[in-house]
Amino acid sequence: MNRRNNFFLVMGIFVSAFLLAAPYIVPFFLNTFWVNILTEILIWSVFAASINLLFGYTGLLSFGQALFFGMGAYGVAFGLSVFGMSFWPAFLLGVATATVTAAITGIFAVRLTWSYFTIITVVFSLIFYLFAVGRKDITNGDDGMAFQIPPVFKIGNWQPSLLDITFQYYFVLAIVAAIYLLLWIVMRSPLGYAFIAVRENDKRASLIGISPYRVRYYSFLLSGTLAGIAGVLFALFSRYTTAQYMFWTVSGEGVVWVVVGGTGTLFGPALGTALLIILREELSVHWEHFLILVGIIVIITVTFEPSGLMGMLNRWSTRRRRVPAEAKLSSTTRRIAGS
Amino acid sequence: MSAPVLRLKGLTRSFGGLVAVNNVDFELPGGVLHAIIGPNGAGKTTLFNLISGMLASDRGAIYLYDREITGLASYRISQLGIARTLQIKSVFDRLSVFDNVWIAAHSRARFLNPLKPARSYRTTADKVEKILGDVGLTELRNENAGNLSYGDVALLEMAIALATDPVLLLLDEPVAGMSHAETDRMVTKIKALKKSINIILVEHDMETVFNVAERITVMTNGSILTEGVPDQIAKDARVQEAYLGQPEEA
Repeated sequence: MNRRNNFFLVMGIFVSAFLLAAPYIVPFFLNTFWVNILTEILIWSVFAASINLLFGYTGLLSFGQALFFGMGAYGVAFGLSVFGMSFWPAFLLGVATATVTAAITGIFAVRLTWSYFTIITVVFSLIFYLFAVGRKDITNGDDGMAFQIPPVFKIGNWQPSLLDITFQYYFVLAIVAAIYLLLWIVMRSPLGYAFIAVRENDKRASLIGISPYRVRYYSFLLSGTLAGIAGVLFALFSRYTTAQYMFWTVSGEGVVWVVVGGTGTLFGPALGTALLIILREELSVHWEHFLILVGIIVIITVTFEPSGLMGMLNRWSTRRRRVPAEAKLSSTTRRIAGS
Repeated sequence: MSAPVLRLKGLTRSFGGLVAVNNVDFELPGGVLHAIIGPNGAGKTTLFNLISGMLASDRGAIYLYDREITGLASYRISQLGIARTLQIKSVFDRLSVFDNVWIAAHSRARFLNPLKPARSYRTTADKVEKILGDVGLTELRNENAGNLSYGDVALLEMAIALATDPVLLLLDEPVAGMSHAETDRMVTKIKALKKSINIILVEHDMETVFNVAERITVMTNGSILTEGVPDQIAKDARVQEAYLGQPEEA
């Protein structure tokens, strides 16, 4: 265990240090717009985490998370441009819109599992997408809504706004870090254990008194809220929202990040998101069909490393640690051997 | 006179044209270990599925003490005090032995606190340790359930069932597929348990049944053929014809 823990501790310290100092380090060797790409990666990593909570931890593959992402984005956009709210009320309106949508659609969605669940999530997101595209008078459809962003807060003369890319980066980093901390706490809690119990064996879970429906619903709700927060952040980051954010391909991209990064691990989805967004930024300029490469990466991952990059790192970091043969023996064998 | 632990009234369930459980009336007064035997396809496991809420009955009623539990979801039935093991052993494969039992032990809590670390529940942890000690799995507490031998998985399933503090335990073929040593361990365990918990046992292994059961119900073709103490059952001509007469059955 030591070698592995040390490896992840060193990695963790290194990544944290980099994230904390990024706006000051990055300009030394890269264009400053990479700070914005980093911000974008952080935001999408929350979206990926929301998919992972359902898929990796609760065993429900959703292709409809974009719905809650889009609801969050529209919620904050309406708050700012239509209702003229200040920053935080609009922020909360976005999160609440996504959460309420998840609370309602979840009642129906988590009655189903496996492919049926996947299909109903696509259907729900398509219904809302078609509505958003169709009702241009409300949503502005494909053209989307652009809006102005007010300062995040005011302390005397200091009125930091997301227009300052360094402040924006730290603002997003703080929220994303808080979300990952929350997920870490939840996954160690009785609720987290219940998520995993339902993922592993829902029949056994219900035979010991856990309601799989209720547990899946909690997961769906929390996941929808997280996707909503990602949507709010992304709309604020882009100063814009569009019906396209609700399209199922947005959900699909998130699933790809999670699968490549490693389902059922806390940081796998963030890793997958980072890798594939960096790839996109580097390649899409030169090669229009770079998605072919993404497709190949996904195929290789699910075929050879279903536990994703995180699983690979896990194995790599414990490469030389032999599993003691004794640990594989059953207690019976040991008892016989010992007697 | 207190109500029987379990009472079934006219319980019926069919699958297409096959009546798997046919108008079964049954009463478990409690205090004795009750075995249900019968040839393959007699409806024993279906009966367990009905009692534990994994299947809905077509007709009839199920009472736990005086409370009707017909049609309740299986998690509700578990919370009311019926635990069961499955013929095809079913545990949380990718979790440790300890966590398997922990989840069961904690499932009595009404509220799943999302913010408190599971490790900080001292009384739950103590309870889990005690149960692991009782069934003899303490050494394997950190092992993944998926790596256990068959006999150990059966013990783990038993530990999971016990962790829910049941008033009634349904054991579905607890010694099937076990070695002699494993069977002996399980039988000892069942004998110890019957002092504190009401148990219904479905089992094909006649040696085990006649070793532990104080009362036996014989089922054939979805109906109850007869019921009695082991000696009566062993001598019953109809039972021999239906079941015991067939050599190497099961």
